[in-house]
Amino acid sequence: MKEKAFVVGTGIITAIGNDTESCKASLMAGRSNIGKPEFLQTHWRDEIPVAEVKLSNKELAALTGADEQWPRTALLSAVAVKEAWAPFKDKMRGLRVGFFSANTVGGMDLTESYYGQFQKDRNDVDFSKLANHECGAVTEIVAGLFGFSDFVTTVSTACSSSANSIMMATQMIANGMIDVAVAGGADSLSRFTLNGFNTLMILDRQPCQPFDNNRRGLNLGEGAAYIVLMSEKAMQQCGATAVCTVSGYANNNDAYHQTASSPEGTGNKLAMLNAMKTAGVSPKDIDYINLHGTGTANNDSSEGKAIEAVFNGYLPKASSTKAYTGHTLGAAGAVEAVFSYIAIRDGIVYPNLRWQTQMEDISWQPVTELQTGQDINHVLSNSFGFGGNCSSLVFSKS
Amino acid sequence: MDLYLKGTGIIYTGEIPPMQLRRMGKAVRIGIAAAKECMKQSGIERPDAISVGTAMGCLEDTDNFLQKMVSQGEQMLTPTAFIQSTHNTVAGTIAMLTGCNGHNLTYVQRGHSFEHAMINAQLYLDEHPGEKMLVGGIDELTGTSQAVLQHARIYRLENSDPATLLTSSEAGSIAGEGVAFFTVAGSKQEGLNLHIKDISAFVTKDITVAVSKLSDFMSHNGISPEDIDLVVLGVSGDERTSVFYRKLQLSTFANQSQAAFKHLSGEYGTASALGLGLIMHAANHNHLPEAMVVNHPPKKLERILLINNYAHYYSYWNISVLR
Repeated sequence: MKEKAFVVGTGIITAIGNDTESCKASLMAGRSNIGKPEFLQTHWRDEIPVAEVKLSNKELAALTGADEQWPRTALLSAVAVKEAWAPFKDKMRGLRVGFFSANTVGGMDLTESYYGQFQKDRNDVDFSKLANHECGAVTEIVAGLFGFSDFVTTVSTACSSSANSIMMATQMIANGMIDVAVAGGADSLSRFTLNGFNTLMILDRQPCQPFDNNRRGLNLGEGAAYIVLMSEKAMQQCGATAVCTVSGYANNNDAYHQTASSPEGTGNKLAMLNAMKTAGVSPKDIDYINLHGTGTANNDSSEGKAIEAVFNGYLPKASSTKAYTGHTLGAAGAVEAVFSYIAIRDGIVYPNLRWQTQMEDISWQPVTELQTGQDINHVLSNSFGFGGNCSSLVFSKS
Repeated sequence: MDLYLKGTGIIYTGEIPPMQLRRMGKAVRIGIAAAKECMKQSGIERPDAISVGTAMGCLEDTDNFLQKMVSQGEQMLTPTAFIQSTHNTVAGTIAMLTGCNGHNLTYVQRGHSFEHAMINAQLYLDEHPGEKMLVGGIDELTGTSQAVLQHARIYRLENSDPATLLTSSEAGSIAGEGVAFFTVAGSKQEGLNLHIKDISAFVTKDITVAVSKLSDFMSHNGISPEDIDLVVLGVSGDERTSVFYRKLQLSTFANQSQAAFKHLSGEYGTASALGLGLIMHAANHNHLPEAMVVNHPPKKLERILLINNYAHYYSYWNISVLR
């Protein structure tokens, strides 16, 4: 018999809030935070808006006692872990705790600032600038700060990374390999990613409009988010109460192109169908879809058509929250897992911000007004990325 | 754990073929070549799922894009290197080339990247009995990564031929790179298989912990040194772990056949995959290559232990050869 993985807590930091309740308040108020970066030093500062967390590295470090010399991804990660872990950290006697993180940039923010000097003289090097370049190093130092050691891992599957870390945590609890998991991911803005996405010509020069016919691209964001998962036994031991379970998950590959989605959304369809299959629910049971919805022409069209095919005749309420937070890449799956948790807990469906015009190639439209007092039992959350990586999670009220 | 491995494709330092596929970095190139060889050996054209571990990802393309971004002041950049630089490029490209729409994951947990790709295989195959998963570990070496890891003392300041690793103990190991892929199932596949019965992966900077974890691992698996036909050691010439390996060689496994592999490949984050690949190669030929023998060749190849570390990341593997 497989154990259920109960979601008992959350921690998050994004451009729209430094914790779960402040993010919720921004979502309720329709408040996004997309504009000129204050901390990211880039040539594109005045041209390409981003969703930046408005705290310096020093201010972020002060929130957790982390070292301000760490990569910004690690500093963001520590803030979100601290919020998620605080209620439980002293109640773990005898329980096996896993830390499942995800990121795509690692310590790139420090590496890119130091790279020029490093290439000039490889003998006179301040190694501390490069020591935490690896994605896994970011996870390792955050794990050290909180004392996680039973199982520590990092997933890197581009924009679906933290959906996959949540999937693995769920499976390891189901199999009794661990009792408790802190699962999610983090990514900071970096010049590397900003310029990379810019060469692909998929960055919006204005605040993005996911699922709008006139959408122009995505805005990059930054942040971190984690959910705390527990087995029933662990929950009893620490007196935790669950809002939902991670009832379904699936990871499929589009096998089409390194950066573009197949026109019909093959991988998207498979991920949604397989996630509902593991959850034992059918399309009509889904009350809300948190869309991947980046705002690029290609992504939204593929996801839109895949949803049409999967939810044929029954289209649930759906919205993208990336118009608020930007696309937080490796953190996105976890950020949206936290939003799915809030949706179930508080009966909320978030409006798809800045939506104006119906897309021509799909027949449905996202929710555009805030809906409260909803009875939300099952949420499907989509995270699709480069490398054809497509993951979907189902959260079910417990 | 019960994983059954068939076939392997391995490529390592010094054996990396020159550029064949245009627009692909070294990691993607050797990753595809090893995955294809593995699929050929195991008689499959398309895996059902893919699980990859890489400590560092696609460094050559990362370096390329970073170099241009910095020197050109963020202007006149082209997307190719950026596209190929993401950590999941190898797994994604294999999926694309084979038309594999199944599960596809990439782990980047330093010296446990490959181990976690294997644990993921166990989780996936438990839920999908009868399927076959392509599992691999891959890391490439670049001039930049070598220089950085020399500052980290992962690699020695004076890099030399890995062949000297077995006889020297210094601050750091010698730089290496490589890839190994396997076709993995949850039940015995036709022909010769490596049966992975257990993996212990842990992090410690204290070698007394590593020693006691090994005895825990062996008693948990009900094995004593006499049961072992061959122990394959990740001895890397790094003075921080030479005491550990010396104890295993001179005491714990003094009477067992001992083999090593990093004197062939050099050190890198997913070298355990290569160790496993060389074990598969030896089992397939029922002969341990001379170059791997440390003390004396094994009498038979049935029960094998793989003991590896990359910096403070250790892993122990309990392996049986099934014919």
